[in-house]
Amino acid sequence: MSRFVEAPAQLSISRLKSDLVAHNVALPPAKSKKVVYVELHLQHIDLKNAADFSSDEEDQVQDVADEEEYTEMPDPSGLTDDELKAALLEHGFKAGPIVETTRALYEKKLRKLLQSNGRGCLNGVEKGVLYSDDEEEEEEDKELGSEEEEEEEKTVKESDQAQQGSSQQLPQEPVKDTIKNMFPNTDAMTPGIYATRRRPIKGAAGRPVQYAYPVTPVSPMTLEKREVERRLVPIQIQILVFLIVTCLLYFIYVCVEDNSFSSAVALLDSLYQQSDSQEGLLLQAETQDVPALSGQD
Amino acid sequence: MSSTSQKHRDFVAEPMGEKPVMALAGIGEVLGRRLEEKGFDKAYVVLGQFLVLKKDEELFRDWLKDTCGANVKQQGDCFGCLKDWCDAFL
Repeated sequence: MSRFVEAPAQLSISRLKSDLVAHNVALPPAKSKKVVYVELHLQHIDLKNAADFSSDEEDQVQDVADEEEYTEMPDPSGLTDDELKAALLEHGFKAGPIVETTRALYEKKLRKLLQSNGRGCLNGVEKGVLYSDDEEEEEEDKELGSEEEEEEEKTVKESDQAQQGSSQQLPQEPVKDTIKNMFPNTDAMTPGIYATRRRPIKGAAGRPVQYAYPVTPVSPMTLEKREVERRLVPIQIQILVFLIVTCLLYFIYVCVEDNSFSSAVALLDSLYQQSDSQEGLLLQAETQDVPALSGQD
Repeated sequence: MSSTSQKHRDFVAEPMGEKPVMALAGIGEVLGRRLEEKGFDKAYVVLGQFLVLKKDEELFRDWLKDTCGANVKQQGDCFGCLKDWCDAFL
């Protein structure tokens, strides 16, 4: 970031005036000839530049800032609500209702804006990395130009300054707007982006693999489901028993439908008979075998 | 875009009604107690402050920090919660 030193005679009167203000030099009376400005510029500024080039800028800026603050109602807490609102509006911030709870916040905001205006040149450096040096100089000139207007100096050349300021403002505005449009909802203060730690990949890069996971809090629904699942195994046995009992009952029902209990007895007898006949056959076979065997003797 | 917490989702799911200030995302017991001491005992009172600040993020964050000492994450959670609630119901 370097300020190109030009011969003061080549600069316009408005530029000379802004330089003088930046170096905290008292301006000559209005409508002075350019020669007067050039002389003052040569006297004060060129000497200063010869002495120490880079560190001057910061001092200049702070001096300008102090000057501005003094002229611009520096104490936000001393302002009325309306004045505070107007001051915020001057800095381009549209404030909401200023009530008891919001007043402190708006005062703080105004202080921040006052400070940032004074250090706008330094902040402009950061943004200026993207822009060329010419635009940055134009920015400073525009700011100094606007500050000059607030000092209520009405000269014919002020209109030129305004014209220059507006024409210089146009090429800047599209650039500023595009950057602001990229992030419409954020302002410079809030970061807007929060980095959250990425969940580590299991077993990657020597990280221990977690086999047992912590018990997570369980909702009542899952608790109910688990209880039902626990009962499912005995439930199957219960169903089996139930089916067996139903078969038996159906069996008995069929028997009773015949309106005779004896038939049920007969059925049972038949069952026994079957088993008896089986046994009888076996006995007969045995007895036959035995006489057969005895018959052989 | 960061993901929302369960508390955020619960709050934004329905009108806040008489929910306590601790129902807000980012506001736990400690912060909730501090807000209650200052008079912000219900979530709708904090909503009022949020709206009076015209839903401005920076101002609301500053106000939260000054009133109950919320850190950056808590400020962000609370702001996001109220903003989403307003988008849904206001």
